[in-house]
Amino acid sequence: MSELDDFKATYFDECTELLSELEEQFAAIEAGERDAGRLNAVFRAIHSIKGGAGAFGFTALVEFAHAYETLLDFVRDGRVELSDEVVTLCIRANDIVADHVNAARVAEALPGDYGAHEKSRFDALCQDEASGVAGPDEDGPIEDFDIDFTPVAVNLETMDSFEDSPLPQDAGVWEIRFTPHQALYARANDPLLLLRELAALGEISVRPVIADIPTLSEFEPFGVYCSWEITLVSQTATQEQIREVFEFVEGDCDISIAQLGAGGPVPLSPGESQAQETDRLDGSLADLLTLADDEIEAAPLDLRESQEEELSDAGFAELAAAMTTPDPAPPAAGEASSPPIASAPAMPASPGSEEASRVGVQSIRVDLEKVDRVVNMVGELVITQSMLTQQMDETLRARYTELVRGLEVLAQTTRGLQDSVMAIRAQPVKSVFSRMPRLVRELAAKTGKTIRLETIGENTEIDKTIIEQLSDPLTHMIRNSADHGIETPEKRAAAGKPKTGTIRLSAEQAGGNILIVIEDDGGGINREKVLQVARDKGIVAPDTQLTDEQIDQLIFAPGFSTADAVSDISGRGVGMDVVLSNIKKIGGSVHVRSWPGRGTRMTLRLPLTLAVLDVMLVRVSGSPYVVPLSSIVETIQCSRAPFERVPSGGRVLQVRGEYVQVVDLAQRFGMPSNAEPDARFVVLCEAEGETKIALVVDDIIGQQQVVIKSLEENFERVEGIAGGTILGDGNVALIVDVQGLRANLHHKNAA
Amino acid sequence: MEAFGLRDDVTDKSAIATHNSLQLIAFSIGEQTYGVEITTVREIRAWNGATPLPNTREYVRGVINLRGTIVPIFDLRARFGDGQTSPTKNHVVVVMSVGEKWVGILVDAVSDILTVPRDDIHTVPEGNAVDIELLNGIVTHDNRMVGLIDLQSVISGSKLDG
Repeated sequence: MSELDDFKATYFDECTELLSELEEQFAAIEAGERDAGRLNAVFRAIHSIKGGAGAFGFTALVEFAHAYETLLDFVRDGRVELSDEVVTLCIRANDIVADHVNAARVAEALPGDYGAHEKSRFDALCQDEASGVAGPDEDGPIEDFDIDFTPVAVNLETMDSFEDSPLPQDAGVWEIRFTPHQALYARANDPLLLLRELAALGEISVRPVIADIPTLSEFEPFGVYCSWEITLVSQTATQEQIREVFEFVEGDCDISIAQLGAGGPVPLSPGESQAQETDRLDGSLADLLTLADDEIEAAPLDLRESQEEELSDAGFAELAAAMTTPDPAPPAAGEASSPPIASAPAMPASPGSEEASRVGVQSIRVDLEKVDRVVNMVGELVITQSMLTQQMDETLRARYTELVRGLEVLAQTTRGLQDSVMAIRAQPVKSVFSRMPRLVRELAAKTGKTIRLETIGENTEIDKTIIEQLSDPLTHMIRNSADHGIETPEKRAAAGKPKTGTIRLSAEQAGGNILIVIEDDGGGINREKVLQVARDKGIVAPDTQLTDEQIDQLIFAPGFSTADAVSDISGRGVGMDVVLSNIKKIGGSVHVRSWPGRGTRMTLRLPLTLAVLDVMLVRVSGSPYVVPLSSIVETIQCSRAPFERVPSGGRVLQVRGEYVQVVDLAQRFGMPSNAEPDARFVVLCEAEGETKIALVVDDIIGQQQVVIKSLEENFERVEGIAGGTILGDGNVALIVDVQGLRANLHHKNAA
Repeated sequence: MEAFGLRDDVTDKSAIATHNSLQLIAFSIGEQTYGVEITTVREIRAWNGATPLPNTREYVRGVINLRGTIVPIFDLRARFGDGQTSPTKNHVVVVMSVGEKWVGILVDAVSDILTVPRDDIHTVPEGNAVDIELLNGIVTHDNRMVGLIDLQSVISGSKLDG
């Protein structure tokens, strides 16, 4: 049960990847890159989705995917032209496949006729073209793609060879040559099952071909050294049926099928002296055993296993020798020459082993938890290393130069290790960005606007946790742009803009931050209306004067929405404040700028990673505190800082013509400072929305990287503190919550 | 006491050998001895300073680093309302687990491990709400009273925290 669930979960993971691959491919196809490679990629993706769906019994998904696949097949071999219309239909079909996948994931049924319209259009397109062609043998070439890495051309060739081979009309005797490759066993296929299935078609006789077993010096224990010749006598069997038996292993074996005409079983070919005629595969295995025992003494493996392994390499050997198969053009040529170490013992096909057996494997799936454990441990290592470095005083340095050198190397290595571990967690933002084109299409359809989405910098990498948190805010922001930003085509035409509105989604790395910018060329924020609504709703006091920029930021206020009518896209007033709170939660900030009539730009500033923070270490009343470096603008000595008094008794700081609130951290934290007032420092920080806050600290100690630790894990949230961290000397330092300090400023000053 | 009855059930499962008795770590605050169940104790370490937390209750002495996790330290004397302890290297932090959380309490010294029969646990005399809140019961050892600390109440401080 749970194992099946695991497989399902893996399948859905893969679906997600495949669907985003589809988006990607179609984005390119839409842009005019209509080459075969892209189509094949699309085909493979759909086929993989279909294959898994079949295994789990998601019938609706299989049916739709199958119809779609048929169309793709027709498109691929040119029977249907890839017109813009077809592309649009395909993109729509992708969305439907995604819906089916989602429905299957949450175990909900979609309406029975869901996608029926598209399906009938596939059929219509295919029917038109298929009328002249003899029987659309969908399953033939299509199934080649079951094995995702199999080069297409080869399989088609093999296919052709079937069709080209002379097919005498007398039904009855078929000669089948079945040469499994190692991959067949690696995928836990059992030749016995295939042969039994074949036996169901008629009377069969099976002869093993084992002449290729090499001498012991060259013997490869996991090699495949056996193939079979099968004679099938059946009055009814067709080539189709026979091929169907091998449908699932096609690409993992060589199959040749030839019809010999009516008559009894044909005697085996003379060359294979060891081969014997047996009716059962078991028998042939036994023969093989005898042979193996003769030649190899004390085979180390379990016998049955070893036979199986032996069997597969022969496939390669024979293949390499271009055996009976007319055009081997082997997909497995690369595999055949690959070193034996790579060929792991045949195991029951699990997603893992399948991944591993792929040639040129690019990635592995690892539990995020495991990675996090490594990240944490590396964090501890970094701390220990810096502790060691701190212990080195001058006398020690002078005395133990070798030790010092060792520590320096250790420092470099740990830093490298830390970077690499962080890189493991980093993922391209593509995984989120790729969900957006569909959203924009749907929004465009619902609002009757024409909208184009441009994405830039989707390979920018960012911590996985942040990526996961990014999807909702981005969705809301794009909805907002499509619903409120972009105007209707008529309005746009009247304003002299192109009819198609553009939303540009971009990501870039800027220092220790990632900037994600959502821009549209719509009407911009209607400031009058925003201010009016904000006043009506009591978000802004009636007599307050706000700058344009402040008004723009109002759209992030809770409960704010200017939509005249609540649409099902946006307008419930829950969107944008969710954006703000989600982004804040992951330590980021949101800024919006608008140009009336020209558009709006929303900028998300996100930290690169949540696990490690670059900080400035400061001292307040004898205790260490750290301030995130990303929020620090500058530091000033108190003796040189131009403080001014305000009526409340508080102080403000004048920075380049701007007045900034001053927070004395010692006072604020209720820990009297005994430092000389002039010897203290001001740390000027930038909080969200470019508002600044000046923190007064006793001393600045230095900069370092720290691993964030939760206070809440064993304690509770502490006001003004964002968390804790462990310094090189093993002591705990608290992380100053710049944002939180600012938020409580008025409240605290009044008290 | 009801709450205590519940805890009996829990320990019965984990330690069959002691199902009729309770093992306590005894420690002192001034002249008085208190105890906590030994199964909750994770570690005993000498006081080595703590990073103070701002704007928090008087009896929260701060946080320490316990092998990479941050653990808060509660000053038991201050929690009892007798003012903050002035800790020296001779003072002791008893690290315990309370539910999912790990916490440390600062005490003057750890004195003994006691085994007391469960039947000998007395209820806390009615009268002072603070006593009832902070103690689960009372046992007698060497003719001296040992108060059983209710850790949950010590660290939460919800009811009577002023």
